[in-house]
Amino acid sequence: MSDFVELCRQEWKRLGVPDPLAEEMAADLASDLGEAEADGVSAEELLGSSAFDPRSFAASWAAERGIVPVPAGRGSAGRRPIVLVAFTAVAAIALIVAALLLLTGQPTVSVVASRTSRPTPPHVPSPPSALLGPPGSSRIVLHTSASTPVEWILLLLAVVALGFAAWLWSSLGRSRPPTAPA
Amino acid sequence: MLDLCLLAVMDEGPAYGYEMTKRLRDRGLAMVGEGSIYPLLGRLERDGLVETYRAASNGGPPRKYYRPSSTGRLALALGVSEWRAARDAVDAVLAPVKVEVAS
Repeated sequence: MSDFVELCRQEWKRLGVPDPLAEEMAADLASDLGEAEADGVSAEELLGSSAFDPRSFAASWAAERGIVPVPAGRGSAGRRPIVLVAFTAVAAIALIVAALLLLTGQPTVSVVASRTSRPTPPHVPSPPSALLGPPGSSRIVLHTSASTPVEWILLLLAVVALGFAAWLWSSLGRSRPPTAPA
Repeated sequence: MLDLCLLAVMDEGPAYGYEMTKRLRDRGLAMVGEGSIYPLLGRLERDGLVETYRAASNGGPPRKYYRPSSTGRLALALGVSEWRAARDAVDAVLAPVKVEVAS
């Protein structure tokens, strides 16, 4: 019991809760826990799952009282938007993968071999992979990377997804707990 | 909803935190799941829905007592009205349902 209260006190100190308010909350909590214990009521029955997470409990209590700011991305009960975190992580990974593929993959068009004295046209149209010129005089082999469009599409999707995630995070940060009982 | 229940039990008479949980438990509401009443009491206090004062409990240390403010009583009345309307609407939908338990 006293360990729980002490951990709460440490968290309030870390968060910058003024000492008189921290002592008030600690005293109330200690008194309630002591009375509950005398009644045979466990800390878990009194505090729910918060009994196993004194730091979150202390932070939530101080935030709801308006003593410290509500941590960004946390609801009134301290829940984290797991789905949004996972979505953001997947989008970020997709962005990194697409960027790496684009940076390390083959260029779209590459000249593999050329044995000619004639000037090479600056641009050769499709087909994607072609053997140009008569055999023996000049051989210009053009390669196109079939995966390149996919990489660009992946990159575009990742950027859009990250933008959407950023918008969701900002919306979540702006939302406040309801002021009237529901 | 728990906010409303807290306002209701403290409207019966000023109470401190653990006392409120006892009143709720006496009515069959053994909560509290993930959270606890303390952050909720903090929010009610911040929003001006409750008034607090310190007083000695029965032979114990001084405790922080809560009671609804005038705004809190208004919120309680509105909340109870909304809850009853919602409950009646759900009852109207569920009333025709006949539940048979297979033996």
